[in-house]
Amino acid sequence: MVMGYLRRAYSSFAAHVFDVPPRLMAFLFLMILLLVPAAGLGPYYLSIMIYANVVAILAASWDLLVGRTGQISLGHAIFFGIGGYSSALLFKYYALSVWVAIPIALLIGSLAALVIGFPCLRVKGPYLALVTMAFPLIISNTVKWSPLVDIFGGEFGLRGFPGFFPFLPILQQRTAEYYFTLVLLFVSSVLMYKTANSKTGIVFMSILDDEMASKACGINVTRYKLLSFMISGLFGTLAGCVQANLLRVANPPMFELTISFLPIIVTFLGGIGTIYGPIVGAYIYALLDRYVLADLLPRLLRENFQVMSLPSGYDFAKLLVFTLIVLILVIKWPRGVSRFTTDKLEDLEEARDLDERGPRIWKTYKKKKSSTPA
Amino acid sequence: MLIEQIIVYGAISGGVYALLALGFTLIYGVSRVVNLAHGSFYMLAAYMFVFFGTFGFFGSDPMLASILALVLAVIFVGAVSSITYRLAIHPVIGDEVAVLVVTVSLAIIFQQLMLLWFGASFPRVSWPAGSVLLESTSILGVSVEYSLILAFVVSLVLFASLLVFITRTKIGKAMRAVSQDREVAMLMGINTDRLYMLTMVISAMLAALAGIFITASIEKFTGPWLWFKPLTLSFSIVILGGLGSIKGSLLGGFIIAFAEKTVTVMVPEGGAIVGVVPLAVIIAVLLVRPKGLFGKRIEMEE
Amino acid sequence: MHLLEVNNLTKSFGGLTAISNVSFHIDEGEMVGIIGPNGAGKTTLFNLLSGFLEPDSGNVTFKGENINGLAPYRIVNKGIARTFQVVRPFRHLPVIANVMVALKSPRGARKIEWIKTMERKAAEILEDVGLSEVMLEPAGNVGHGDLKRLEIAKALATEPDLLMLDEPFGGLNPLETDFLTKSIMRMHLDEPSRGVLIVEHKLYALMKIVERVIVLHMGEKIAEGKPEEIAKNEKVIEVYMGKAT
Repeated sequence: MVMGYLRRAYSSFAAHVFDVPPRLMAFLFLMILLLVPAAGLGPYYLSIMIYANVVAILAASWDLLVGRTGQISLGHAIFFGIGGYSSALLFKYYALSVWVAIPIALLIGSLAALVIGFPCLRVKGPYLALVTMAFPLIISNTVKWSPLVDIFGGEFGLRGFPGFFPFLPILQQRTAEYYFTLVLLFVSSVLMYKTANSKTGIVFMSILDDEMASKACGINVTRYKLLSFMISGLFGTLAGCVQANLLRVANPPMFELTISFLPIIVTFLGGIGTIYGPIVGAYIYALLDRYVLADLLPRLLRENFQVMSLPSGYDFAKLLVFTLIVLILVIKWPRGVSRFTTDKLEDLEEARDLDERGPRIWKTYKKKKSSTPA
Repeated sequence: MLIEQIIVYGAISGGVYALLALGFTLIYGVSRVVNLAHGSFYMLAAYMFVFFGTFGFFGSDPMLASILALVLAVIFVGAVSSITYRLAIHPVIGDEVAVLVVTVSLAIIFQQLMLLWFGASFPRVSWPAGSVLLESTSILGVSVEYSLILAFVVSLVLFASLLVFITRTKIGKAMRAVSQDREVAMLMGINTDRLYMLTMVISAMLAALAGIFITASIEKFTGPWLWFKPLTLSFSIVILGGLGSIKGSLLGGFIIAFAEKTVTVMVPEGGAIVGVVPLAVIIAVLLVRPKGLFGKRIEMEE
Repeated sequence: MHLLEVNNLTKSFGGLTAISNVSFHIDEGEMVGIIGPNGAGKTTLFNLLSGFLEPDSGNVTFKGENINGLAPYRIVNKGIARTFQVVRPFRHLPVIANVMVALKSPRGARKIEWIKTMERKAAEILEDVGLSEVMLEPAGNVGHGDLKRLEIAKALATEPDLLMLDEPFGGLNPLETDFLTKSIMRMHLDEPSRGVLIVEHKLYALMKIVERVIVLHMGEKIAEGKPEEIAKNEKVIEVYMGKAT
């Protein structure tokens, strides 16, 4: 009996995942990621992957808002910083362990998104962009303001909280952190994916495509924008929370424009408007930035070309190069949403398959669709 | 004493701020481009002013050398702006999101270029030592450097000239036509592309001038990251005054200048928190009256 | 009580008066047409009635309630739906998802019978307008004639009490025009209490289906009456002949 159940569960799983090419690829990707620590990489390389996971969560949250709902945000760092500082403050004043602090921080982040979104989302395009740019600046200035140093730690921020697995030796700690962030990434992306492909997600897309027409369909566009903003803020806060506890510091640079720009770089690298795009982009970015450019290239230069030290502007040049790549990508392909449509179609098929109470007409369409060549 | 400080410094800053904001509102009004790199032109000009100043033209007369450096810096920034318009902005005009991403990318690129070229320091920027500009006079009992008075006068003169340019000349009228209805303007034979380019160059040069004046006379130093402050300043003035409104930039510039000065002078440790003023204004305006003082109802529906 | 009552509606833009002192009414079950040369203010009137513009003066009453200044989505949820003259599909969404957006609105969701899913209801609506074939195509890939019908499908999804069509026949060939005419008549028979307001240029198509015609010219109502009367109205003929259409 158990075997029968397992078999049915397997075939349902196979139908949902293996038969759908993009999902199959995602599954394989996930399998590879799960096996990474087994490759015997040291803590340094694991931390690169951990970084990739965190950036991926941040970027995916940004993409939901910008790529799916069309609300441009140039200030996503605010959620990142709120996540970090919330968790740090909760430890400082209430001695809450990180495991308790995270859900509370998520709540704070969503509420912040509501408060911030309220004035912002009533306006469009450039106004929205600049207001979103302004908020992290305000908070960062406030956090650095000398009269509040005792609370926020001023320029240096807050330290001293234990993080996730303080009791483990370093390699195991990194491994645990890696799996933890991977699980978070998986759960977050699945949740965001389901949201994007739900009926609410359809409404988000309608706002992206044509806000006026969406209103004409009776949709309270502002409310949906706020919803998208809150969901996006929730996951952005998660990313910040996690990062602060990984590095065990929450400081003003978490609010910087470079952090806000990170999801932009990463999403354009991977493909805007998709959920997997930011994830792929995050991995590409993390590997490029922290491995290829920071580790591999200098080593190659040293060993093969006897270049002992890098030119002083090397770090600066890195951001320059990444931004230049983004610039070229945006100019050449301002909107890479083509892949999204295939996703959508597949989900509607799934919805139809699961709708067993459909009328006969519905089933006729299903048959017609599967008999015509794709 | 405090009130006089607010009045005098506020008024002077206001004039230069208005110039900066004018550039921003112009490029938006004419081509609907929100140029997030506007502050970069400000910063670039300050750097170039220092750079050209090191060449010591006219050996003996530092004042002339300064003026030449100023002119060269402004022209340089204008040239850079025209190249960036052609290569980066022109291809994506019409797509709001793309324009925003492009211009913010440009801002970061310029920032990194300055970091690479000049390093992570904050170069000092000032008028030549010993020149009359560094001496002060007294207005309303407040000590004011002549350089500030120069900045104020030049800004207002420029502002007025631009106003005349826009209302009286053919090109100016074309700009107004395009800002009101782009399609009709195109149908009437106006070459919008060249107009946008011209507007971009004018806008950048205004930012450049404001940059040199504010940096050399008030701030006295610049840095690779100091493009964000002028950007938020421009934006907040323009939002307050109304996107696309010239008198809005003027009035908005003064209001924000006075507000900033009040905070610096009246609030404890105000100097540290004064950066919040333009940002707070942005949020306040958007909450209360999104179109600003003189703005048209652009943001509600197409 | 009239279904829709428009009293002395006026709207100006800068110096230009787009709608000037326009008054009329529509009763339940009536099909009314609005005609007039280009620039007469027809689309402005639609925007005023659907909440995308606010009148300078005058008022609009729907089912006894004043709807001046209400946000467009609220007006839709009260029972007025409109189409757009230049089609506004959600290009990245499949056709069926386009209709589902309207079904996600409070009014649209309420109108789904409990036994049906949203997808099914959307599919039925699409079948009614003849779009079943392209149901799963992204709306951006679909032809103009189909997009015109999609506009109507989206409007119908909220089961409005007043349906406003803005040049539904625009850009359609004679075959499509004929099909649409029949569809509109059939819809009217299916929902006898629904009021329909149609703005249209193709007079021969319009005059066949409406009971009453209102003529606008330069923002003013210059005539109102049965189609046959309007066709013979001297002022109307002068207004149409005197302008190059």
